[in-house]
Amino acid sequence: MRMTKLRALAFALSAVAGLAVAATAHAGDLLVTGAKPDRLYVIDAEKRAVKSEFRIPGANGIVGAIIPSPDGKVAYVVVNKMESISGIDLKTGKEVFRADLSKPGERVKNFFALDVTSDGKELIVYELPTLLKPSEYQVEDPRFAVFKTNAGLHAKVSRSFPAPRRLHMILMRPGGKTFYAIGFDLYEYETATGKLVGTHGIQKWQLPAHSQPDLLAFWPVTEPTGVFTSPVISEATAGGAAALKTGMMVLDVRAGTLEFNDFEDTSALIFSTVLSPDRKFAYGVYSTLTKVDMASHTLAKRVPVDHTFYSINVATDGHEVYIAGAMCDVGFYDPASLERRANLKLPGCGDQSLASLRVIPAR
Amino acid sequence: MSELKPTNRKAELLLKAAAEGPIDEVVAMDTVAGCATTFDPGWEIDAFGGVASLCQPMEADLYGCSDPCWWPAQVPDTMNTYPNWSDGKPSAQNDWRELDAVFPKK
Repeated sequence: MRMTKLRALAFALSAVAGLAVAATAHAGDLLVTGAKPDRLYVIDAEKRAVKSEFRIPGANGIVGAIIPSPDGKVAYVVVNKMESISGIDLKTGKEVFRADLSKPGERVKNFFALDVTSDGKELIVYELPTLLKPSEYQVEDPRFAVFKTNAGLHAKVSRSFPAPRRLHMILMRPGGKTFYAIGFDLYEYETATGKLVGTHGIQKWQLPAHSQPDLLAFWPVTEPTGVFTSPVISEATAGGAAALKTGMMVLDVRAGTLEFNDFEDTSALIFSTVLSPDRKFAYGVYSTLTKVDMASHTLAKRVPVDHTFYSINVATDGHEVYIAGAMCDVGFYDPASLERRANLKLPGCGDQSLASLRVIPAR
Repeated sequence: MSELKPTNRKAELLLKAAAEGPIDEVVAMDTVAGCATTFDPGWEIDAFGGVASLCQPMEADLYGCSDPCWWPAQVPDTMNTYPNWSDGKPSAQNDWRELDAVFPKK
């Protein structure tokens, strides 16, 4: 019994020491996540504590994709059953922008795909409209709608242009002249005109000895590198035998390069990933936390986590990995050992569900 | 189509229209007009035909899937008929007992 107590004391002391070391080395990032029914949380990553808890007006039970403005002052959040975009000032919690996409007779949904131009002045929103007729629903063609971010609480579409079906993410390229749209394939559009200027294969990826791939690109994380990554699953037929393989899709939004590389037989990683600042590793989460060596394209390490998490991000200086989404926990992990350093339960324990986990660097 | 017989006037009209060709070509939709038009298998099995790779626990995944209408078979249509099904129950792990079955109103 005595030994047990001593061990427990030693463990507790080492845990406290570990926390102190981790805290002093921190870069001062803020984390932003959301939770049901209407909450937006700003978390001090250094203190591992909720700094601000805001209520989003008219969230109507769902807080989805979160897009920080380039200056980190406003978060644009998909709410209201994916029919409204609410811009929340991250210092005051005040709603400073609101675009309600639907109107009488036409229901418009946004499934995650939106981004802000790099000057912060315009918001590009992927709209999926359906006409609600007396005896039928008529699905209309999807479109990109552009809103001025200074349009206040009754923002109207300033211009729109046609879009392909099945998009789930918009990623603005540096300079803002063009943006990427991720769907069945990767498209690039001119922001001003909506002109399609390039298509790169995802479904049509032409990777030798691989089937069409599958991916779930719902978490719009490009921080801290400007690179978007996602697990991608396909059936590889090299050597005659077919096997499901999990690879990494690596889209460098700045450089404009797109790569796919298998790293393991499909087993444990489905949802989101993030690239470390030095680009040597990617971290991914689902019901395990996974670390991928990006040079050798191999699994570097994997540990179980308490439950399924949807979203992942990494500190701006790379010293800590954060996991969130699904339930009400935000986990803080060691990027080398993948050991858990701390767990933060959000107040009220509302489900984060599909809310993004974004990192805003200290300014 | 010959296996299906119309049982009311609207179904007859649909069959006639299909035969004459004025119906628009069906295209794969991204937006769902209602949860009942989403065809997904639900929570029962994972990609390997087992349960080991499903979300753990199932409640962790419940709102992430039901909010965008991905699992229509197990939950009410939260887009059209029961949009308030989960109101007041923000935590699936704590509130699951209150997420009730629903029945058509008479």
